[in-house]
Amino acid sequence: MSLLSRLAGLLKIHRLERDVEDELRAHIEMRAQDNLAAGMSPEEARYDAQRRFGNSTLVKEDTRAMDIVGWIETTGQNLRYAARMLRRTPGFTLVAILTLALGIGANVAIFTVVHAVLLEPLPFPHPEELVRVYDDLRTSNTHDVEMSVPELWDLRDKSGVFQDICATLPADANITGGDHPERVEALITNANYFTMLGVHAELGRTYVPADALPGFSEPVVISDAYWRRAFGADPKVLGTKIRLDGDLYTVAGVMPPGFRHPGRTLGADVDLWVTGGFAAVPFPMPVSRAIRYFPVMGRLKPGLSVAQAQTQLDNFVAQLTRQFPDEYPAAAGWLIRLVPAQEDIVGNVRTELFVLFAAVGFVLLIACVNLANLLLARSASRQREMAIRLAIGAGRARLIVQLLTESVLLGTISGAAALATVFSLKNSLLRLAPANLPRLNEVALSPSILIFAFFISILTGLLFGLAPALQTARADQTTALREGSRGAGSSKHRLRFCRFLVASEIALSLMLLIGAGLLFRSFWQLLEVRPGFDPHHVTTAKIWLALPNDPKNDPYLTIEKRAAFHQEILRRIAALPGVEQAAIGSPSSAPMDSKSTRSPFRIEGRASDLERIPVAEVASVTPGYFCVLKTPLIAGRFFTDEDNAKGQQVILIDETLAHRYWSNADSDAIGQRLQLGAAFEGPNLAAASTFTIVGVVGNIKSDGFDAASAPHIYRAVYQSPPYGAVVYLRTTADPGLLGEAVRSEVQHVDPTIPVFDVRTMDFIVSAFLAERRFALELLGIFAAVALLLASIGIYGVMTYTFSRRTNEIGIRIAMGAQRSDILRLAVGEGALVVAVGVVAGLAGSAVMTRFLQSMLFDVKATDPLTYGAIAGLLTAVTLLACLVPAHRATRVDPLTALRHE
Amino acid sequence: MGEGLVKPKSDVLQGTLALLVLKTLERGAMHGYGITLHIQRVSSEVLRVEEGSLYPALHRMEQDGWISAEWGASENNRRARYYQLTAKGRKQLAEEEKNWARLAAAVASVLRFAQ
Repeated sequence: MSLLSRLAGLLKIHRLERDVEDELRAHIEMRAQDNLAAGMSPEEARYDAQRRFGNSTLVKEDTRAMDIVGWIETTGQNLRYAARMLRRTPGFTLVAILTLALGIGANVAIFTVVHAVLLEPLPFPHPEELVRVYDDLRTSNTHDVEMSVPELWDLRDKSGVFQDICATLPADANITGGDHPERVEALITNANYFTMLGVHAELGRTYVPADALPGFSEPVVISDAYWRRAFGADPKVLGTKIRLDGDLYTVAGVMPPGFRHPGRTLGADVDLWVTGGFAAVPFPMPVSRAIRYFPVMGRLKPGLSVAQAQTQLDNFVAQLTRQFPDEYPAAAGWLIRLVPAQEDIVGNVRTELFVLFAAVGFVLLIACVNLANLLLARSASRQREMAIRLAIGAGRARLIVQLLTESVLLGTISGAAALATVFSLKNSLLRLAPANLPRLNEVALSPSILIFAFFISILTGLLFGLAPALQTARADQTTALREGSRGAGSSKHRLRFCRFLVASEIALSLMLLIGAGLLFRSFWQLLEVRPGFDPHHVTTAKIWLALPNDPKNDPYLTIEKRAAFHQEILRRIAALPGVEQAAIGSPSSAPMDSKSTRSPFRIEGRASDLERIPVAEVASVTPGYFCVLKTPLIAGRFFTDEDNAKGQQVILIDETLAHRYWSNADSDAIGQRLQLGAAFEGPNLAAASTFTIVGVVGNIKSDGFDAASAPHIYRAVYQSPPYGAVVYLRTTADPGLLGEAVRSEVQHVDPTIPVFDVRTMDFIVSAFLAERRFALELLGIFAAVALLLASIGIYGVMTYTFSRRTNEIGIRIAMGAQRSDILRLAVGEGALVVAVGVVAGLAGSAVMTRFLQSMLFDVKATDPLTYGAIAGLLTAVTLLACLVPAHRATRVDPLTALRHE
Repeated sequence: MGEGLVKPKSDVLQGTLALLVLKTLERGAMHGYGITLHIQRVSSEVLRVEEGSLYPALHRMEQDGWISAEWGASENNRRARYYQLTAKGRKQLAEEEKNWARLAAAVASVLRFAQ
């Protein structure tokens, strides 16, 4: 009994419960009144009435249980009946389950990703308070710049907006002391990082206030993955000394397996966290507002919305701009911008996921429409059964509920099948997703996904079942019984409804196809873009020179030392077998593989533009860089080995920059002088200095095919040797073997330097396109499925139409109609449905594709070519689908057809 | 399933509650309290329907489709739930009456034989 009442609670039969109570109360009151009339005192009357009920709660429960038992029995009957009907038509059932499982599965799969990436809050307490803090320099069109130390302090101490604010600087680090040096991904933060996020160590501790020093402090925290990889999950790891870029640190804690830095990193997940105050050597000293070099995260004060905080910050920024006019000239248009941490991580993936979600929704809708069509056709043969049941006294409502039970059962079976498939294939499916899709590690089967799957299954069942159920149960008894002999029903109305369904199916498919078509065109345009370099047969690898905290321990402190190192490495790898040409560049020289670093510059002899501070991407490269990448020289000369610390300070510029300032001829730029702003090179702050332009090179699309070409300035590696370096090799040799060869050459020069990220440039370029390709492929698959379903739909309806009209066609043929007349008649009917569908689909696309705009490249959302081509394709395919049954109709033998009646 | 849950008290003979209720409702729609009064009065106070069994039984019969229920106003303008016999209920009543007659006749013949 208690189980039943619990079930009742579950089913939320509140109304029912109140009804029972009302009913019993009415009884008691009536009895009490009669008792009163019989002469009892009011209390006695009431008491007697109550007493007769005995345990009134029990009575209430018993009574209610009867209602629930009845409901369960009816549902059980319906379910048994539905199961029997489904078993009786195994072919239909199988097709229906496959179609629906495909539709539901796609929805569950995409929802799972949407849930993990967009809906699930970040796994921290009060995740809504976490924000990423950006500097914007609006007038140089430079967004998302990092911050400087004084700015961080101002925000922390004076802005009044943050509970906690913290620098989070991703960095390369070399672990030495083991068998071979290893490069790890480190995150340098203030000591309040973990308290700000509200996370604790799984093992040991995170930072304590005493760890907050101006420079680096000794304790480091490692990730679970690194703990397993490097220490074999040794529980005694705490206290272990590790050598990081030459300095000793102590492992103080291990983070739990689920913890990940909620922000961008250099390559992969953070391996270890180091704390520093950014206010002593080896951080760039003295601190300056202009040296912006770390990303900042903050936790807003409780109850403060991001918009409110932003308003307060805008005022604060205005105040700082007045206070420091030299650091923040009006020309820069300095602003501080807050972005919710979750939005920051997810970035532009949001649009893509929503587009895909909409697409799978469409696919499911089309599948529903198709099934509704199938059921409608089947309902013709069941009309007789229904008419009989109506005639012997079954309620119409009961019949509808019963038919709906059938479709909901189908939906639920399909949903269960889909859920099982999606989660058994989870890992292989996730491998299809681009690796840079954020938060994919958080994808898991959660209650909300189960609830989603459950509801979408039920909804699907109701959606495709409702129209056929109403249609079947509205059967006019007499006609149905009379017509029944051939298993046909009142067909006119149903046929019109079928056509409406097919037309909407065609419209939906057209919208999907046009979406996929637009993405395809964008991708095509993208591949047409000349990136300015030839990625084929180029292998790259990265190295990182350790940067010890005490400059005295730095073997590569001077430019000469670093230049000599790079020169030696280059000499060795260029001599490797199979290597045609080799070059070395700074990390920012790697096209499509690095965050752009833009620096302000000024051309000597030109009035500095007050409106705008020009910026360019600056990288240092060796003489062979442009030859390896096959980027042409437009004017002047490339670097030579003589462009070293002893020589004149020289730079190369690209065409974009040259055209902007020397519009007559690129060669006019040669010999001109240009000033670059202060830059942070390792621990040394290179002062602003002046360079001579010696050459103009072709543009390299370093930020990707779809980004506007930013101007580039190249410095010579031997004049500005970087700590991190990228090695480029033009070769046909196997990159894996080559990676080993490079490693052994580098470690021959310095055994403490790791070589990592060995990849071909083809791979880098294709990884850059992966996200677009993923969206394109998925949408393409969905659109193809939609097209297939729509074709099946129209084929089915046309076959049904003509089978209904066999008799009429027979008469026409007997009366002398030509087969071509019949064919024209038949195709004409299909064409009308197709035309209505296509027009509706085109109109729908014009509205819906606006949401695709941000994913398109060089193609308008209303591109007439795409619209025309896709509409043509769809028309052709669907017309073909009605041609087959039409053709069959013309071959009817008039005699058989006439006898058909 | 029904029998175990309905648990008619000894006041009304096991299995006869449904018959009595259906028969009572044959005269027209009535609420639960009215049904108890009617049975009590007509049987000259011999048969007493326990409230604790009546309501579960009524709801059970409603679910079985023998009777249907509707909210209405009672004699003294109180909200009460009125039960009414359905076509199915009429058939059931005929069936139960036949059964009862058979049972009563059987009991009578046993008694006669014993004499």
